[in-house]
Parts: sequence; C-alpha cells; structure tokens
Amino acid sequence: MSKVSSIVDFLEAGIRAESLRQNAIANNVANLQTPGYRRVDVKFEELLAKSLDSDGSVDLDEAVPQLYQPKQTPVKSDGNDVSLEAEVGEMIKNSLRHKLFIRLLQRKYMSMQAAIDVK
Amino acid sequence: MELNNSFDPIDIALSGMQAQNKNIGLISSNVANANSTDKGDGTPYRRLEAIFKAEGDGIGGVTLDDISTDMSELPRVLKPGHPAADDQGYVAMPNVDLPVEMINLTMAARAYQANVAVMKRYQRMVDTTLELLR
Repeated sequence: MSKVSSIVDFLEAGIRAESLRQNAIANNVANLQTPGYRRVDVKFEELLAKSLDSDGSVDLDEAVPQLYQPKQTPVKSDGNDVSLEAEVGEMIKNSLRHKLFIRLLQRKYMSMQAAIDVK
Repeated sequence: MELNNSFDPIDIALSGMQAQNKNIGLISSNVANANSTDKGDGTPYRRLEAIFKAEGDGIGGVTLDDISTDMSELPRVLKPGHPAADDQGYVAMPNVDLPVEMINLTMAARAYQANVAVMKRYQRMVDTTLELLR
C-alpha cells in the first residue's frame, strides 16, 4: 500500500480499528469468568501517531490495528482481570467513535458526490 | 489511570462504579460474617470498612484500594454452652451491626446508580452532538 494522506483513508483505517476493538470487547465479556484470562485490546492510535510523517502522510502498512493484552488491570483471585464496568465503558467509547468516523466519512462522500454532480 | 481525553467522564464514572462494586463486596462480607466467631485465626470477625481515594490532582476518578478493619470493641454476648465461651460464659461477637450495614448498602447502591446515570447522560450528550453530522 502506498503512502496515504487523504481523510477518507484515515477514517476507513479508524473504522477498521474500531471494528476490531468491538470484537476484542465481545471476547472479553464472553470470558468474564474464565480463570487465567487477561483482557485484550487493540493497538492502533499510537501506531498511527508514530508512523505519521511531517507532511501528514502515513504508510498504512505500518499502522495496522493489532490485538494485544495490556496486562495493566489488576488480576482477581482466579487469574482473570476482566471487569464488567470497564468493558461497558470501552463499549460506549467504541460505539461513539465508530459512529463519529462513519458520519464523517458519509459527509466526505456526500461532498465528493456534490462535486461530481455539479452541472 | 490513563484518561482518554475525549471521553474522560466515561472513565471517571466507571471508576466510581468499580469502587462501589468493591464497597458492596465489603458490605456483603460484613453481613455474611455477622456471626462468625472465628475468622480463621481463632479471633472473631471484625467488620471491614472502605477507604475511598481520589485519583490524580484535580479531575480524576476514584479508587478503593484501602480496606480498614474496624478496631472498635467487640460486643460480648452471654452464650454459656458455646465452644468459644470464656470462663464466665461470654463470647466475643463480630462488631457488625446489621442496620448500619443495610444503610451503607443502600448508599453504595445509590452511588453506583448515580455513576451509571452520569455515564448514560454523557453518552446521550455525545450522541446528540453526532446527530449534527447526519
């Protein structure tokens, strides 16, 4: 993939990251009681920030959303570190971000459409 | 606790929920052990109390890391046949007062609900902002 700097590509990458995060959260909630299970999250925004060049372009091959275990939450007696409240909070933030990106993308497409439609 | 700057109120509200969750755990331990004359080391159960601490200076969430044991005097009840009775027939019982625990439980549950309400309201607020993009 070549370097990209258009807002459409950034928004699409963001939407893909949020979809992956949705899966991670569902996985965490499903494993709420699994002994030894550690919650998973998606690393994307930091990778994006790191690979952002001075001219505002990014090689989207470097900034790929990936699953990882933060291992920062305290572990309960059965080795599990998932807290229902934390996952609900993540879900809310995730769906708000997802909605934001989708709407911005929609707006961008509408304006592109308007430009094409000019007679 | 890392705060995601755009959604601070969500993280703060959920720290409140988690703290109250732990608090209710302490209360339920007190209630369940209201009559435990032996907490594993031969001495009676002593009620546990939550110590809430604010995180960070200024705007931040709450943590419940400290649990203090209530060291007030244990009530002595006359139970002559009890295995733990002293030579006058008195047994030291846990210093758990059920009405007190019930009131604490009500307050903890209300605090939990209040935090949920904050989260919900904030979510709806951001939602209406996003409606502007429709």
